[in-house]
Amino acid sequence: MKMSVALVAGLLLVPAAGASAQGVDDAQIASIVVTANQVDIDAGKLASAMGSNAEVKKFGQQMATDHAGVNAQAVELVTKLKVTPKDNPTSMSLKEGGATNVASLKKLKGAAFDKAYIDHEVAYHQQVLDAVDKTLIPSASNAELKALLVKVRPAFVAHLEHAKMVQSSLTK
Amino acid sequence: MRGVTLLAVAVPGLLSCSGHGTAAVSRTPVTYTVTIEAVAFTPPALTVKAGDSIVWVNKDPFPHSVQAKNGGFDSLPIQADRSWTLTPSAPGELSYVCALHPNMTGTIRVE
Repeated sequence: MKMSVALVAGLLLVPAAGASAQGVDDAQIASIVVTANQVDIDAGKLASAMGSNAEVKKFGQQMATDHAGVNAQAVELVTKLKVTPKDNPTSMSLKEGGATNVASLKKLKGAAFDKAYIDHEVAYHQQVLDAVDKTLIPSASNAELKALLVKVRPAFVAHLEHAKMVQSSLTK
Repeated sequence: MRGVTLLAVAVPGLLSCSGHGTAAVSRTPVTYTVTIEAVAFTPPALTVKAGDSIVWVNKDPFPHSVQAKNGGFDSLPIQADRSWTLTPSAPGELSYVCALHPNMTGTIRVE
């Protein structure tokens, strides 16, 4: 209860720039969203090209398509809101993590690639979902940006469940 | 002449509404909409009559599909802001799934 009061007090003290009690403003959230999608697009394209299992290739292609769609919608909204995505520790960390993952995957082939890709997809979607729930949605100050995050959240849940299904099929 | 035409159209409706219709009087087909948004079919379950149409409208920013679990129909990918229509002609229970997002499911009960 004390935390809630502190959070509300923090939100009431939000400066004009829109920074929240949790330290990310809308410009930083925009950068995190665009980066999180781009990281999964890059990995998905690699999996659709290098995957050996048909389900892994299909999943990779779908990640590239779905996240490109979400990104197009996010970019359209932030352009309309005149919010310029701003780099921040979270978006930089996502970008670096994505580049490291792609570099590691490129060294693998066949079943080892499939397993490494899908294991990372499960962990990544869980990580992004946690960020959406714990940081992005609570911190978004613009109502339309918050609504977009709420609307795309189920896509991350669906991808996580789908990735787990593919992961499970690989171990059979 | 126009009056005659209107009367001819109106009469079956009147008969049907008053409960005196016969089997020969056909029911006007209804079109239902299932919205695809936030990776879900809404409503997930629908009951229709044979000859009615169901339109699935994709409001997500990426493709979805409507595929019968028994293989009876397949929309193939429905792009963002596009729709796909099915007009079932026979009674039955049609369970379907989005082939791209396997946890998205729905049911059409055709009477």
